[in-house]
Amino acid sequence: MKIAVFLPELLRHLFKKPATVDYPFEKLEVPPDFRGTPYLDPDMCIVCKACERDCPAEAIVITDVNPAEKRFRMVIHNDRCIHCAQCVDSCPTNPKAMRMDSLHEIAADDRHKLKAEWVYVRAVLKPKAAAPAAPAAPPRAGEKAS
Amino acid sequence: MSFEIPIGPQHPALKEPISLRMTVEGEVITNADIRLGYNHRGIEKVAEEKNWTQNIYLAERICGICSHSHATCYVQGVEKLMELQPPRRGLYIRYLVSELERVHSHLLWLGVAGHEAGFDSFFMYVWRDREIVMDLLEMITGNRVHYAINAIGGVRRDLDAGQKAKVLEGVATLKKRSEYYLNLGGTEPSFVARIAGVGRLSRELAIALCATGPTARASGVARDVRKEDPYAVYDELDFEICTADTCDVLGRVVVRIKELLESYKMIEQMVRNLPAGDIACKAPRKAKPGEVVSRYEAPRGENIHYIRANGTDRPERLKVRAPTLGNYPATVEMLKKGFIADIPLIFAAIDPCICCAERAVALIDARGGETAVVRMSDLRRQAIARHLNAPVKGNAAWPL
Repeated sequence: MKIAVFLPELLRHLFKKPATVDYPFEKLEVPPDFRGTPYLDPDMCIVCKACERDCPAEAIVITDVNPAEKRFRMVIHNDRCIHCAQCVDSCPTNPKAMRMDSLHEIAADDRHKLKAEWVYVRAVLKPKAAAPAAPAAPPRAGEKAS
Repeated sequence: MSFEIPIGPQHPALKEPISLRMTVEGEVITNADIRLGYNHRGIEKVAEEKNWTQNIYLAERICGICSHSHATCYVQGVEKLMELQPPRRGLYIRYLVSELERVHSHLLWLGVAGHEAGFDSFFMYVWRDREIVMDLLEMITGNRVHYAINAIGGVRRDLDAGQKAKVLEGVATLKKRSEYYLNLGGTEPSFVARIAGVGRLSRELAIALCATGPTARASGVARDVRKEDPYAVYDELDFEICTADTCDVLGRVVVRIKELLESYKMIEQMVRNLPAGDIACKAPRKAKPGEVVSRYEAPRGENIHYIRANGTDRPERLKVRAPTLGNYPATVEMLKKGFIADIPLIFAAIDPCICCAERAVALIDARGGETAVVRMSDLRRQAIARHLNAPVKGNAAWPL
């Protein structure tokens, strides 16, 4: 048994670059499949409530605003969201009405600020019809679309 | 003359919320008592109010480190209940993630063992290498800890050629590093002197006390669900059960490093032989009435989920037996005749996960000794009454 078997490794590490990243100044990229924050594309939502039913954290709430106009309100409570993207998997439309972005620095000083809300008219999608092209810049969380 | 010393639930030497009461004679522990229940969250009760899909994510949150173990164990059981046959490709990806998780868990534990033995540079190097596997998991599943890759009837994310190449590359690097750690763990004299002979658990006791996982295998009991009751893809893979017969913490270190090497072998096999096809099949919303027991070899040992369905879209009962719970009786034996300074090391050597094991809590009256059920609203009422009756706080008086 030798003394200080670990020493060569220790000395070698003196001349290596740090393994960590200088975080706030230098940021790592998230992978393409990263599950960030969920958001809604109100033009595609048929209000089937599959996302509301399957959300494990009960973070999605869909309520009637005006039944005559078929107007609904969806609130995503991002303070409860566990970022599992089950809402995206449950969404039956094509392209999906529920999507995930790649934001991860989403901390806020008040949980109520994390609420995202959309008021929209239910979309009527014809079966097999060419779905409208995905908008170039989808509305960001927190933005109100009417 | 013997003393009783309490360690935990909050203690600087022990990083887990558990209460150990040691009876000591001088430096030597003569008896140990483990008290549970400080981290009970009522997950089994919550599971009865959520549907089959929601419960995957709930099961995943039983534990952080072995999150995939609980989710997979649950999903395996539900698939058996629903009589689903997930596609081969889906299964391969699921168990690929599960082996990657074993790698990350064992590397994490190895670092903790180094830290508890006072070998902090080892801890830093191991955890730096662990980042490789964490990055692989993030790339495959989209998250570092809660992978959420399981769906009932398969997996949710596919693996492309670029990702396969990255997994193989990462595993090759890790293999080299793990061989170095195996060599180091056996030869660095100060490290070996600290862990050899500590926390002895004989082979007979390990069997009698139902030790599981690496704790049992380090005592020479070749017990592994992947080999004994091969589920899903494990009967197609070529691997061995790693054992050691030193019966101490050194053995547990060696077993875990050897298991790392076996896991790399399995990962390579799974990536190379990944079958083509779908990754998931469609699952029904409801399960027929019935019950099932699902077994899974988690990094810490055998994980058991019992699920009962009553024909609705949610389980009637979900019971979780985490490996740490199975290792507690053995831990008490290991602690006996040890020294006080060895407590954190011995306790860390079973790779305890308190939040996995806390499945029930009983409130026992300190005076009468009766067990009682107290509702949350009652607790709240009592707390408010206590607050109102509390004496007005003045300047703290120093009793001496």
